[in-house]
Amino acid sequence: MSKITLDHVSYVYSKGTPYEQKALDDVSLSIRDHCITGIIGHTGSGKSTMMQLLNGLAAPTSGKVLLDGYDVNTTFEDLFAQWKSLPKYENLSKSAAKKAIKKDIKDFRRRLCFRVGLVMQYPEYQLFEETVYKDIAFGPQNMGLSEEEIRERVMEAAAFSGVEPEWMEKSPFDLSGGQKRRVALAGVIAMRPEVLVLDEPGAGLDPRGRNSIFEKIVHYQKTTGSTVLIVSHSMEDMARLCDDVVVLYRAKIVKQGSGREVFSHADELSKIGLDIPQITRLLQMLKEKGMPISDDIYTVDEAVAALKQIL
Amino acid sequence: MSESFIHTENLCFSYTDSEGKKESPALKGISVDIKKGEYVAVLGHNGSGKSTFAKLLNLILEPTEGRLVIDGVDLTAQELTDELILQLRRKVGMVFQNPDNQLVATIVEEDVAFGPENLGIPQNEIRIRVDEALASVGMSEYATHEPHRLSGGQKQRIAIAGVIAMMPQCIVFDESTAMLDPSGRREVLDAIRMLNRDFGITVLNITHYMNEAALADRVLVINDGTLLLDGTPDEIFAQQALLKKVGLEVPQCAELIYALRKAGVRIEGEALSTPEGCAEMILRAYRNKGGLSHE
Repeated sequence: MSKITLDHVSYVYSKGTPYEQKALDDVSLSIRDHCITGIIGHTGSGKSTMMQLLNGLAAPTSGKVLLDGYDVNTTFEDLFAQWKSLPKYENLSKSAAKKAIKKDIKDFRRRLCFRVGLVMQYPEYQLFEETVYKDIAFGPQNMGLSEEEIRERVMEAAAFSGVEPEWMEKSPFDLSGGQKRRVALAGVIAMRPEVLVLDEPGAGLDPRGRNSIFEKIVHYQKTTGSTVLIVSHSMEDMARLCDDVVVLYRAKIVKQGSGREVFSHADELSKIGLDIPQITRLLQMLKEKGMPISDDIYTVDEAVAALKQIL
Repeated sequence: MSESFIHTENLCFSYTDSEGKKESPALKGISVDIKKGEYVAVLGHNGSGKSTFAKLLNLILEPTEGRLVIDGVDLTAQELTDELILQLRRKVGMVFQNPDNQLVATIVEEDVAFGPENLGIPQNEIRIRVDEALASVGMSEYATHEPHRLSGGQKQRIAIAGVIAMMPQCIVFDESTAMLDPSGRREVLDAIRMLNRDFGITVLNITHYMNEAALADRVLVINDGTLLLDGTPDEIFAQQALLKKVGLEVPQCAELIYALRKAGVRIEGEALSTPEGCAEMILRAYRNKGGLSHE
């Protein structure tokens, strides 16, 4: 069973008004565990909505979001209606079961935010504490950890995300954009999420900043074995980093598979407002001009290896 | 012979901290000439000073040292009056990064009319300008729409129309595509190219995207508050090692050429900035090796 599963999920904005809009339309998807999955799609295709459903920030209008097979939006009413048939509660009195279920639902929702760490688009706008240290510590503090453990996690997450020790007592607002981004990432890493979800982690950063954030994400995935989802508009980055790629178009999944499979449909991607990596476009040109080379190539390293053979 | 539209000499700027003290300079003496009708990309890592440079051109920030001459008016030799600043902003328009922060009205055409209204342009003239500006970015059919319901690319095009309606001679784009998806980015870049080519508007595009810089006639690289490189995209991307050192990179196609040369493959030519140019160079190398000899 996949850790993260969407089962016939729809999400409708402004339901019942003239502006009603489907952000997700009957989407079913299993994310491969311990892999990096990229989500691509034009603005308004439903990507960001999907990300927010994963940690319970938004609840689907219909369908289920499952974490380890458990519907993350299970309500008290859902469980209480069937408490007598649930092993965990069947031996309790009605009032005790009611109390236990209430507590369990609350605990689950709370833990969900820690288990599925969401780094939103432009996360630097979400920094709010007086110091960098306090900002990174906010998550672990809410997990009810001891001061000592909080400190350990903050330091570990800071080092991991490239937050320099001398920033710790500074106000996060005095940092540059790229620095703030690293603080925001550290704040999520400090909760050691099983699933790390990042919405456009490279947006607005210069090439070095972008590469460094992506390196850290890949490193986190490798060292913790967690499952990572990334939304990005950079096809070059997606081709390079992701094991799987999911393409959303007008609230539906239109393609899904390895990066190689997905990017081999260049014409279709272009029709729905997306790109293919520049290197792939270059190889296509060479092939059209008659060079005996595959255009099934998505990274610079692959292209170098292939061209070296014939040049 | 086209004349210089922007002329700077040893242009410097330092931000002031909350206690009124000058911080270390963000710009440390930039001297550059930009001609009328040029399409210039400005590259630099976060904090390099490139956005500061852009903001000086529109007097959002005032230079602390050096000379700034725009369209023949020396802005550093005289007291900066509101009148002078207004005059300058008619000539140099600016489009920012976040489309949601620069739209002010609830109807698209009112938003586009906001600038010219503030310039005191007569109503009938405003009507003409708004219609022409919307047409020029391909947004005429959205004239009576609500801006907040448009896509990111469409919003940016409305912001550009708002600047065009003031009929500037120069537009500075400060990372105006950073928040857009690939199709939104294409829409905006097409609009920029058209404004430059068909209307002769001088364009400065401040960007992090090497592929965008490749579209310009000329590229400036700013690093640590100084002008590090100035040349055509092909010339700039020939400096891979230096670019890397200052936190930038070259487009994938140029990266490929570098890697092949490093591996001992002989590839001649300097057309590093576009996939088309790189493809030509690789094909030539292949022919020289005896490939495609039937041609």
